[in-house]
Amino acid sequence: MSFGPDVYAIFWREMKRYRKSKSGVLIRLIQPAVWIIVVGNTFAGTKPLIQAAGFDGEYIEFMAAGVIVLTAIFTSIFGGVNTLWDRRYGFMNKALVSPISRSSLALGKMLAISTVSVLQASLIIGISLAIGVQFSDYAMIVPIMAVVLLFSLGFSGISVMVAATAKSQEAFWGIINFLGMPLFMISPALFPLELLPEWLASLAKLNPATYTILMVREMMTGVPSGVPAALSLGILGAFVAVVVVVAGWTFTRDVNRPF
Amino acid sequence: MTGAIEAESLSKSFGETKSVDGITFRVEESEIYGFLGSNGAGKSTTMMMLTTLLRPTSGSARVAGFDVVREASRVRSHIGFVQQENAVDEYLTGRENLALQAKLSRVERSDAKVRIDELLDTIGLADRQHDAAVTYSGGMKKRLDIACGLLHRPSVLFLDEPTVGLDIQTRRRIWESIRRMHREHGMTVFLSTHYMEEADELCDRVCIIDEGKIRAVGRPGEMKGRMGRDVITMEAGGSARRLADRMGTMRGVKSVDVRGDSVTAYVQDGAGMMPAIFGEADSLGVTIRAVSMSKPSMDDVYISYTGHQIREHGPEPRRRKRGI
Repeated sequence: MSFGPDVYAIFWREMKRYRKSKSGVLIRLIQPAVWIIVVGNTFAGTKPLIQAAGFDGEYIEFMAAGVIVLTAIFTSIFGGVNTLWDRRYGFMNKALVSPISRSSLALGKMLAISTVSVLQASLIIGISLAIGVQFSDYAMIVPIMAVVLLFSLGFSGISVMVAATAKSQEAFWGIINFLGMPLFMISPALFPLELLPEWLASLAKLNPATYTILMVREMMTGVPSGVPAALSLGILGAFVAVVVVVAGWTFTRDVNRPF
Repeated sequence: MTGAIEAESLSKSFGETKSVDGITFRVEESEIYGFLGSNGAGKSTTMMMLTTLLRPTSGSARVAGFDVVREASRVRSHIGFVQQENAVDEYLTGRENLALQAKLSRVERSDAKVRIDELLDTIGLADRQHDAAVTYSGGMKKRLDIACGLLHRPSVLFLDEPTVGLDIQTRRRIWESIRRMHREHGMTVFLSTHYMEEADELCDRVCIIDEGKIRAVGRPGEMKGRMGRDVITMEAGGSARRLADRMGTMRGVKSVDVRGDSVTAYVQDGAGMMPAIFGEADSLGVTIRAVSMSKPSMDDVYISYTGHQIREHGPEPRRRKRGI
């Protein structure tokens, strides 16, 4: 089977394109950098509230994990947009008349988006360190990156799926913006679940980003999150597995419909 | 022996619109076969069905011996497809574009390197291979795109309007590249175009398609020959129709066409017929204001096969926008 090399072909192309859009790397960093610097300091006074909910540390240390996942959410959920361009400007048809399978096309794109997402997230970790956020154990950076990669695979799957089925650019952006912001807001990214109203906290428990943030925060700060890491990882893994399968299937079915 | 492409009553409808309407044709191995038609005639739709991008509504087609629906993946490993829109990745260099194509079509890495070098030479891009494709001219990008379609040595190469939107010198260079690649690799080429000149220059056989139906197939030389040896065009003011009707009855006139105030006649011996034509015009009291004579072109062939058809429906050619 040549599934591996086929996936790599697409991955290789996407990464080449990423490397050549250097300005994009910085632009995509601005938003999370603003979050961590501005919001991190604006809400510094909420430290007593955070402490009451069981987190012993500065607010900025609390929310840094949230911003790392924010970076991953937006990098990966916007990442599928070039699928739209590919459908419009020839590359997609070129790939579709080649012998490689549709699902390897989808997976290659998802892996590339997730890799970019990890790179962006690692830059945010760099910024966090630069502004004085402390890690309980710096060796944790590697497993944090692994969790971000897994999480991004799921969200890039959603993005690629929407891009493969969207009838227009507008439809893509409409759906993606509709999904992106709530997935970030309805989570413990900025405040502990304990401080959210009951109904919001219940909603947040349905959000895969929630478990990712809890895991990343626990690894960064060493403070137990209240949900066992194995459970969080299991929920995230199941979510990603479902998305990868559904995205591969949807992509195969819909991608060469004209629009 | 099976042909490189065999289409049998191939049809595609988008809703109510029949884009391709039951076409049957056969392309022989190593032939350059041209699909000639105006925009919306069904050329691209046909090509998309043959390259497995669209499923036919009815009918069937075999490419390189494989059925385009049931054996789509086998068809894909035997074809190259160069689309009308340039599919070169502008972020990548020329060389990287070819390397990407090699990966997409599963060419061995060691073979790929040799072939990429050869192709860069053939298309004259060797010295610019490490520049991003965004810096290339339109013609360079198109040549690169065509080279991508050839990298995996397909037995059938599909070219959808390969020179649309390019200037004449660039078009000539592209034609030269296509001819050279065809000489070197001997693949079958299926080409669609709406440029008569292109069909005439490149194709062994031309198929005229209009409103989703095939109107004629033949060698360009023979098709022009069928028109008569000379074309006489006359300006006859408001009396064009009367003059044309009279000429239609003359010996040696193969066919007559009226467009506005001008009459176009396809005749066997233009110089010899001229006095007789003027005589007939005189007897009708029609003044011929200007006259010119030329050899028939693919234009004339095309108009003679599709023009009449269009007139049958009414005075104006009617074209609906197709659904893609």
